Amino acid sequence: MSTEEPRCCSTNPLALVYGSLLLRVWLAVRAIQTGVEKYAGTSVTEQVVNVDGAPNEYGLTAAGAVKQYALENYHGVPQALMKKFEAEPLMLKFALPLYDKVLGPALIILGLTILLGIAYRTSLFLLGLLYISLTWGLVLIKQDDGVSWLGVHMILIVMALMLADHNRLSVLKKG
Amino acid sequence: MNPPSLPISRRDFLARTAAGAGAGLVLGAPNLLRAANADGSDKLHVALVGMGKQGRVLFEAMSNIPGLHFQAVCDIWDYNLKGGMAKVRALQGHTPKGYSDIDEMLATEKGLDAVIVATPDFWHSPHTVKCLEAGLNVYCEKMMSNTIDGARAMVRAMEKSGKLCQIGHQRRSNPRYRYTRDKLINGHKICGQIVNINGQWNRAVASSQDIAFNPKLSIKPEILAKYGFKDMQQFMNWRTFRDLSGGPISDLGAHQIDIFGWFLGVAPKSVFASGGNDFFKTREHFDNVMAIFEYDTPQGGVRAFYQVLTTTSAGGGFWESFMGTEATIKISEIASASAIYREDSAPPWDGLVERGILKRSPAPPKPAPSADAVASYESAAPEGFELPGGFNKPAHQPHLENFFDAVRGKAKLNCDARHAFESEAPIYWVNPSALSKQPIQFTAEHLSV
Repeated sequence: MSTEEPRCCSTNPLALVYGSLLLRVWLAVRAIQTGVEKYAGTSVTEQVVNVDGAPNEYGLTAAGAVKQYALENYHGVPQALMKKFEAEPLMLKFALPLYDKVLGPALIILGLTILLGIAYRTSLFLLGLLYISLTWGLVLIKQDDGVSWLGVHMILIVMALMLADHNRLSVLKKG
Repeated sequence: MNPPSLPISRRDFLARTAAGAGAGLVLGAPNLLRAANADGSDKLHVALVGMGKQGRVLFEAMSNIPGLHFQAVCDIWDYNLKGGMAKVRALQGHTPKGYSDIDEMLATEKGLDAVIVATPDFWHSPHTVKCLEAGLNVYCEKMMSNTIDGARAMVRAMEKSGKLCQIGHQRRSNPRYRYTRDKLINGHKICGQIVNINGQWNRAVASSQDIAFNPKLSIKPEILAKYGFKDMQQFMNWRTFRDLSGGPISDLGAHQIDIFGWFLGVAPKSVFASGGNDFFKTREHFDNVMAIFEYDTPQGGVRAFYQVLTTTSAGGGFWESFMGTEATIKISEIASASAIYREDSAPPWDGLVERGILKRSPAPPKPAPSADAVASYESAAPEGFELPGGFNKPAHQPHLENFFDAVRGKAKLNCDARHAFESEAPIYWVNPSALSKQPIQFTAEHLSV
């Protein structure tokens, strides 16, 4: 009989490296794109309607919405949520505009540092803190679905930290 | 160059109204044009005469049109004059010349290409005639005049001067109306035989109250008297006085009754109207008017009912509904108030939808069967459709664009004074019919210049 304990997880070094990389990319993409989306807006354009396969000669148009990214579109905290946060007595009112300004750039910067492997552990830790801050806000306004969703993110971050020893292809390994 | 004058003789009139197709040409063929700007540059030099509420509406629409230079503003009320000049300055960066008297403006200003007339109705004809005689192209708000003779003078002045005179029936340049008339009614004949028209402008009593003014801003009595107003109250509320305007049927109804004849392509043969001072008992004009026009078209007779209410807004605001054997087109300047319904027995329109000529409306939820419905008396619910598109500009802008394009020689007017007269002439007989409580059978004397 074998004396080895049954293993729940692979300890194959290559599998651990792959697992670490996948988690790292997933968390990075999630953070970067979430931050970039905060610069997204919609521009409504009038387009000439086609009749019989050609633009109509009467000038009839239809409104078409086109998604565009621009600095002026920036909104860190969605307007609808902002109003709910402002109505919360425990919310620090002075901090809310600052948080609104910082949230998008913070997600992009942390996403990039995780993707590039710059101060990997510290970046993951800071991203976790950011998700905790979001969780606290959602708890205040009773958005339980969002809280659960962020909980899954926290588990992924913890797993990424546990696999950090197997991380490869990092620009800066310190931290 | 301007086309030759097209006066309608009595013989012409009878021939045209009897033969619907001929009359259709009368209502459907706008004035061909000519013209160039006064100084040969690309800019058109424009004077604004009348900067009250409607004048400002037109200015806002013109502010979207490139290539215009607003050279002068004229209004007898200092408040409107200064406000108008400030708006022009805000748009073009420098202040235009201001005048309180149109004669002084016409004598002083050189190089004008066009004048926009938005004065009270009883001044439309004198102002337009003056400007045409001064060699200027004119865009004048509807109603052409408070009297049919005033309107006749405008047609004669346009044709004698050879200048352009567009009347502000702005629906004639509205892409949605033009598409409906040309493609749907005349082209694909989706209505089948049009047998009935309904139109209405139901305006809330709150929107029909007298306009108040600050006494400190009143015009001097001698100035008011010079320009035909007995006092400031009358100046502010000229629309309610018989000597100064045609009343609600003219103010509101003229836009829509114009569309009746334009879409049908013929003039009406009679009108029978009823009106009364049911709420605004001291006003000179009726507050509510209902009129029935009868038309003979090549397809058959058409009865058109129109009502204007200044006491009630319920009923969907303002729209015109063309009801035929195969479809009904309900159209309004407000796109959301427009709809097209195919009769259940009409040929299918799948091909029209596939070609993009029509758009199918989202199907409304089916109502639950109700106990009070008598099924054997009910028709199947008509299927809903929409125009394939709309337009996103101020309502008056396309008509003004058409005018300025015509001044540049790039277009023909969509509603010159003669065609506007043919449309407006029957409207002048609504109030007389209501006053006499008698139908009026139109003759050449009623409808010709």
